[in-house]
Amino acid sequence: MNLNMNSVETLVAQIHGLSGSISDINQLHSLLKQSEDLFQSESTRLAPLLTELDPFMHSLGYLYILDACTSAPISKEQASELVLSIARFINLCAAEQIRLAPDKFTSVCKRFKDQVMLLEDPMQGVAPMLTAIRKLQLSSEHLTTLHPDFLLFCLLAKCYKPGLSILEDDIFDVDQPRDFFLYCYYGGMICIGQKKFSKALELLHNVVTAPMSILNAIVVEAYKKYILVSLIHVGQFSISFPKYTSSVAQRNLKNFSQPYLELANSYGAGKISELELCVQAHNEKFEFDKNLGLVKQVVSCMYKRNIQRLTQTYLTLSLQDIANTVQLNSAKEAEMHVLQMIQDGEIYATINQKDGMVRFLEDPEQYKTCEMIERIDSSIQRIMMLSRKLTDMDEQLSCDPLYLAKVSL
Amino acid sequence: MDFSALNDALASKSYDQIADICDTLMLQVSSQGVVFQDEWPYAIHLLGHIYISDINSARFLWKRIPLAVKERQPEVVAAWNIGQKLWTRDYAGVHEAIREFNWSPEVQGIVASFSELYTKKMFELLVSAYSTISTQDTALFLGLNADDAANCNLSSFFTWLITFVQI
Repeated sequence: MNLNMNSVETLVAQIHGLSGSISDINQLHSLLKQSEDLFQSESTRLAPLLTELDPFMHSLGYLYILDACTSAPISKEQASELVLSIARFINLCAAEQIRLAPDKFTSVCKRFKDQVMLLEDPMQGVAPMLTAIRKLQLSSEHLTTLHPDFLLFCLLAKCYKPGLSILEDDIFDVDQPRDFFLYCYYGGMICIGQKKFSKALELLHNVVTAPMSILNAIVVEAYKKYILVSLIHVGQFSISFPKYTSSVAQRNLKNFSQPYLELANSYGAGKISELELCVQAHNEKFEFDKNLGLVKQVVSCMYKRNIQRLTQTYLTLSLQDIANTVQLNSAKEAEMHVLQMIQDGEIYATINQKDGMVRFLEDPEQYKTCEMIERIDSSIQRIMMLSRKLTDMDEQLSCDPLYLAKVSL
Repeated sequence: MDFSALNDALASKSYDQIADICDTLMLQVSSQGVVFQDEWPYAIHLLGHIYISDINSARFLWKRIPLAVKERQPEVVAAWNIGQKLWTRDYAGVHEAIREFNWSPEVQGIVASFSELYTKKMFELLVSAYSTISTQDTALFLGLNADDAANCNLSSFFTWLITFVQI
């Protein structure tokens, strides 16, 4: 035992000595890898050694020892202290050093997540997890295993805005498929919460159409929300899948979402009373799936869609006629609906209260302003970047031995 | 807890930054394991979100506030009342919610500033959305209470309205 502790202390001295230049760190890394068994056997006695190390200068060594300490079972009393010490390490560590041992860093962060969940205080984990992602990522296009854990914290703590900042990054590199499913599903939920339905639709679409050989629960739940968000944002839902959807999804998803497909059908018919009957009929199922809030938003969207449809037929219409067509209770209610839609930019119209009439107008956007030109320009830049990425991926794929083997048959 | 950034923003009337400052500080303090709920300036935090029209974040903040705080701090409930009226688009109700509470000195600045901002936005909405509108409705949307709105004659109304046009 003593012999082992002596070896550990020698290692600590070497951590101090070899944390300077890059070549030193690489040497240290090999030494640490060789000493893993040693760390594991002394895991219960390593905690005091952490006080001798600096989390920034000796990040790699600190990481190995922290990993070994936390691999032992943790009691509830130790949990809050552990959470604080891991959070401190995450905030102070040097990104270049921990990127040499990404698996170790990830497993320390996973344990952090487990302990935070045990303490039932998800907000405590939001800031450290975001820092951890930024330090672990090789670029903003890289999806790590920590991304879904971070989004889960944001959802549980009801702190949606930090989640949105991560979701703005485009992802091109994925470590594990499961991370991708969870990331897109949780991300979709965060966007729904912040009413960013366009982005939510994109994320949920990615889950539903991702390659898969067997169905999983995440995809089933994502599909249900996908139907609802599609109705809210686009006003319609098409049951046919895009060509690139996996056959297993195409065959099986509909069986798990019958009530939602019925709702979509009812929405397509355009009558509020029928839609509300449908909602009543499947109320329990929607509540069980925790989608009742979204379903209610679908119903209130129908009023908007119906009013928008009127703009395609009429130039002017009385408020009473709008109320009758859209099945509202009074002209005043219709006026409030139209006013809200004007405020949100969903319709272009002016209300004439004296005559009780609404005049529908054309979209005044002339596409000539500087802001519009900047928007178009940045979209063009983005598409050019995507096109380059696609060409690179194509070139890489055509050199891939697996692909060549299949093609040459 | 270091509220200096928040106090600076309040002193310099940079009310649009309050929400971000409070959010960042809350996450920071939380990650340090500090129990902050009793001392947290929830009313100002809510009003910060309301000021930049981020009612979604205000809603989620309201859901996070512990019941004990809601019961002990009527100002927090009053601040959320404004947010609730904005959420349900009760245009006249927002003004009522601002008027009916006796705001504390720390909060008066941001409430007054928001009231002006909101009235201005409502004025712009009415100008763009209505070709004709009754004086009563206009007065209600812009903050006169129901009785004044019903009784005000046209000339006094226009005198009052001109103050907004000049903003």
